[in-house]
Formats: sequence, C-alpha cells, structure tokens
Amino acid sequence: MNKLLEVRNLTKSFAQPLGASHMLWQNVNFALGYGENMSICGESGSGKSTLLFALGRLEDVQSGKIFFEGKEVTDEKSSNIKGIRYIFQHYQLVNELDVYENIVLPCYMQRCPVDAKLLKLLLETLKLESLQHRMPAYLSGGERQRIAIARALITQPKLLLADEPTGSLDEDSGRQVMDLLFYVCKTLGTSFILVTHNISFAKETNHVFYLKQGTLLNEEG
Amino acid sequence: MHFWIWKLALRYLFPKHRRGTFFTWTSIVGIAAGVMILCVVLSIMNGFDENIETKLVQINGKVKILSQKPIRNYTEWMQRLRLQAHILGVSPFVQGVALVQKEGRVIFPKCFGFDKKTVGEVLPFSKFILSDNGTYGAFIPKTVARELGLATGDTFDLYSPLALESIKNEVMILPQEIPVAGYFKTDWAEIDRDTIFFPMELLQEAYGMEDMVHGFSLNVDDRYLRSVCEDLNAWLPSNMHAYTWYELNEDFLHVLKMEKAMSFFVLLFIVLVAAITISSGLMTSVVRKQREISLFLHWGASRLQIVRLFCFQSLILSMLGIVLGLTTASMVLHFRNAIVQFLTGWFLPKDALWNFYNFEQLPAVWCWKDIALILAFSLIITLLASLLPAWKATRTSIIKGLRRE
Repeated sequence: MNKLLEVRNLTKSFAQPLGASHMLWQNVNFALGYGENMSICGESGSGKSTLLFALGRLEDVQSGKIFFEGKEVTDEKSSNIKGIRYIFQHYQLVNELDVYENIVLPCYMQRCPVDAKLLKLLLETLKLESLQHRMPAYLSGGERQRIAIARALITQPKLLLADEPTGSLDEDSGRQVMDLLFYVCKTLGTSFILVTHNISFAKETNHVFYLKQGTLLNEEG
Repeated sequence: MHFWIWKLALRYLFPKHRRGTFFTWTSIVGIAAGVMILCVVLSIMNGFDENIETKLVQINGKVKILSQKPIRNYTEWMQRLRLQAHILGVSPFVQGVALVQKEGRVIFPKCFGFDKKTVGEVLPFSKFILSDNGTYGAFIPKTVARELGLATGDTFDLYSPLALESIKNEVMILPQEIPVAGYFKTDWAEIDRDTIFFPMELLQEAYGMEDMVHGFSLNVDDRYLRSVCEDLNAWLPSNMHAYTWYELNEDFLHVLKMEKAMSFFVLLFIVLVAAITISSGLMTSVVRKQREISLFLHWGASRLQIVRLFCFQSLILSMLGIVLGLTTASMVLHFRNAIVQFLTGWFLPKDALWNFYNFEQLPAVWCWKDIALILAFSLIITLLASLLPAWKATRTSIIKGLRRE
C-alpha cells in the first residue's frame, strides 16, 4: 500500500517549572494510505489536538519522524506543506467575508487559481450554493462547519486534519456535517484524520486509535 | 498581485452589508479633520500672503534702484533705463523725513516725493488717492489729518533737515508752507500711519537737491524680474543698486513664510493624533484577529503580506480621510465669507472686520504645492502609524493563534 502519511516514534513533552517536563505522548506510530481515513479518540487533555497539530507541523516534537507522501517533513514549516489542511471545532471563518470569499481565500493566499469545477462541486455537495453571498454571522453552526470543510478542500489537499469538527454542534447537525465530510472526501479521494469524542463517528473511519496515558493504541489495543 | 490583500483590508474596514465600523469612521473623520484644517488655514494664509505681496508691489514698484548718494541728471538716467529690455516704466522719487508743524502740533512723518508725470507707469498711484482738489500740494493720510487737524485746502509748515542743518551755521531758512491737496489711503498701515506724499519738485526744493533724486521705481515684465535686476546691477555704477520688491521686504516675507511653516507644523499634530488613533485601532484588530492571521500564515501567506494587510488598511483610511478632508475644506473655503459673516454677526459690529483686521472678504488661495505636501505628510504619518501593529501581526505564533478560541 502507498503511504500518504507515516509517523515513526513521535514523542512530545512540555517543559514544566523547576526544569521538570511532562510527557504528553511518546512513540506514536501509525501510517495512513491514500484515500483512507482514521480517527483519534481520547479523554480531554490527552493530547489529541496537539498530535493533530504536530502532524501538520504546527507543533514541534521532541523526537520521531513524520513522512508525508514519502518525504520527511519533520522539520518543515507548516505553510510549506501544501497537501495538508485543517478544519477546527470553532470553524475559524473570516467574519468580514461572505461564504464564497471565505471558501476561495486560501487559493488567493497560495497564489493559485480557483478551480471553478471543484468549487461548484463543493458548493453543491456541501449544500452551500444558496448561501454563497451570506455572511458567516447569519449562519448556523452546521452551515459554518460546511463552509470550513469547503474552504479546507478548495486547494485540493491530500490530507485533511479535522479537530473535533462536530464539537460545537448538536447531534443532528453533527451527523449531517460528518455524513457530508465522509461523502465529499470519498468523492475527492482526500484522506482525513478525525479527532473526536464521538465514538460512533470514529467507528465509521477506516482506522480507530485511542490516545491513552501518552500512548496511541489501535482498536485492538 | 495583491488584490486579495486590498480586498481583505477593505472588508475589515467595510464588512459586507455594513457601512463601515466605528473604528473606520472615527479614523476617517480624524484624518479628514486634520487635512481640512490644514487646507483651510494654509489657504487663508496664502490668501493673506498674496494680498500682502500685491500691496508690497503696489507701494514699492516691482524694482527699486537706490543710491548711496543722490542721483544727478535723473532725466538722463530715466532715458537710459527706458532703453533696457523688459522695463515697462520708470519713475524717479525723493524720500526722507521732515518736521511738520501745524499750529503748535508737530510730527515727524516720512516724506515721499513722486513725479506726477511718470508715477502712474510704476505704481497704481491714482488708486491710493481718496480726494484731490487739484492744487499743487501734499497728499496726507487720515491719521496725519486727524493728528494735525488738517483738511483739504489747509496748509502746514514743512521743516526739512536742510532747514535744521542751517541753524548750526546761524542761518535761518524759513519753513515751506505746503497746501493739502487731498487724502490718500494705501491700506498698508505703516504708510497710512505716518507718510506724506509730496510732488517730487517740492521735496527736491526742501532737501536742496535741485535736479537730483534718491532713486527710481521700475515697472518690469514679471517673467524677467530677476534677470532684469541682475542685468541692471551689472550695468549700474557701484554706488547704485537695483532691488526686486521681494529683496526689499526679505525679512517681512521670511516672517510670513516662517509663520506658515509653523502653522503647518502645529496643525499637523491633528493628523498625528488621528494616526495614533488608527495605530491603536489596528493594534486592537491585530489582537482580535490572531486566529485569522495564524490561519493566513498556515495557508501560505507571507509575513510581508500580513504587513501589507494592515498597512493597506491604514492607507485606505488615510486616502478616504484625505478625500473627505479636501471636500470639506473646499466647501468651507467656498462659503468662507458667509461663515465669517455668520460668526461675526453674533459677536461684532457690522464693519468690525474692516476696522480691526483690514478685510471685508476673507482671502484664500488654493496652493497645489501645499495640498500635495499635506497629502504626502498625511499618507506618510498614517503609514508609519500602521507599522507597529503590522509588525505585531507578523509576530503571531500560528499554533497559539489557532488554539485561541
């Protein structure tokens, strides 16, 4: 199997007062193939989001290696890794821009043209066509998260890192967003890693991992 | 291409479906107030300066030839001067001081002797004359008339320095009895206060100068003023020198220039305060938008693009402030007289402006050089004010910003 992402012996600790350090997780190992998805579950404070940020090179790690599309990216800047994008629990939309402008903004920043076909597909699939010219402030949480998903996918990343995307939504909206996320990623062939507390969403992914006492365990333990 | 940065900067200031934020409008009004006040004050100062300069030319002539000694054969000199290129008129003059007495009241006025035949070539002399009874005599200002109790047709005694000098030699030269031919008013306080205009021959006689004069006033084509003066100075004997009207009033004009520069400097502080408001508003915006800035950096925006995003906001505010400032300034200047009349109508009698400040209509001259300077300074100050928030924005930690909820 071709590996999209491979993580070897990743370790993260935080410095504490008086020279002590707190080990967040250690020797994290896993691999994710093209088009696959996985989920990471665990208690609050277990370091799930930090692991997700480390995978996209937003967090530094103490040791270990990260390979993305076969290339080591452990010391790369996050902005240099064009194939990885995030979606967040709180959407992080630009309130001053309308839905359409929010979605295409990453293209402008990467100085790449907007793929009109992809945009149309995303707007259709994520049911955003009628909301294009609305402002985020007037939309529901579910609608905002769908915009965040479209915005993350507009630059055609290979890997989507979703940090509790349904954390701020009610059950129905969360379900709808997750169904759309699964569907659109499958349609585009985009892999994703889902950090969630919701076991039922996690079980729908190809691989389920648990972060427990600093160790990443798979379903079998 | 930075169009998205411009677009985003515009949207931060004018979010869609809104007519701008409170910060946007206070910043624009701040800059506009500074620009408007600067434009109005400097334009009115330019207006007064232009009036003063026109008056200086009217009372001095454009060029004056002065001599260390009285000039002999002045008619011959006049003919020679008229032959010079770009000289449009020549008039001789005699000037000095004298003692003037009328029934026990004495003053020491400045005396100016004009040549009735040629003075019109160089000065708008007829404009200064308020009344003329046609007799061969002096023209006095109202102040002198009041001080000595003189009226047209009256006479006064003129004691020249020559008459005073003769006392040393125990010779008594009797004073000349001069009739008052009329009144004059130049609107130049210094002259209207203590100067008397005499027919030149009368002063020549009083000073014992026969066919001599103290100098010449010249009317010169404005385009060649400086070159005519330079040519004359190369040609004239060493004891005679030609001066332009602005060389003769250099100190005074320098004071006017300094006054204008100081006004510009002081009023620029209004723009400075507005720029500080922008800086503070942008700094708040940087703190509030840490998440967005982190996201932009994560997406691949460069630190320089983030600097531009905040500098562009400042530039947009500055440009809009300038446009609003210029518009209001032109409106204020257009209706300036109505505004002044409205304001003075409440506090001052009808002709107070003329009596106290010597104007009825507020002069104003829109000088493009000043406007360009105001615009350049406003843009530079506001741009500089945005650099600190912009720099702060570039220091944003991506991870801290993204984790901020």
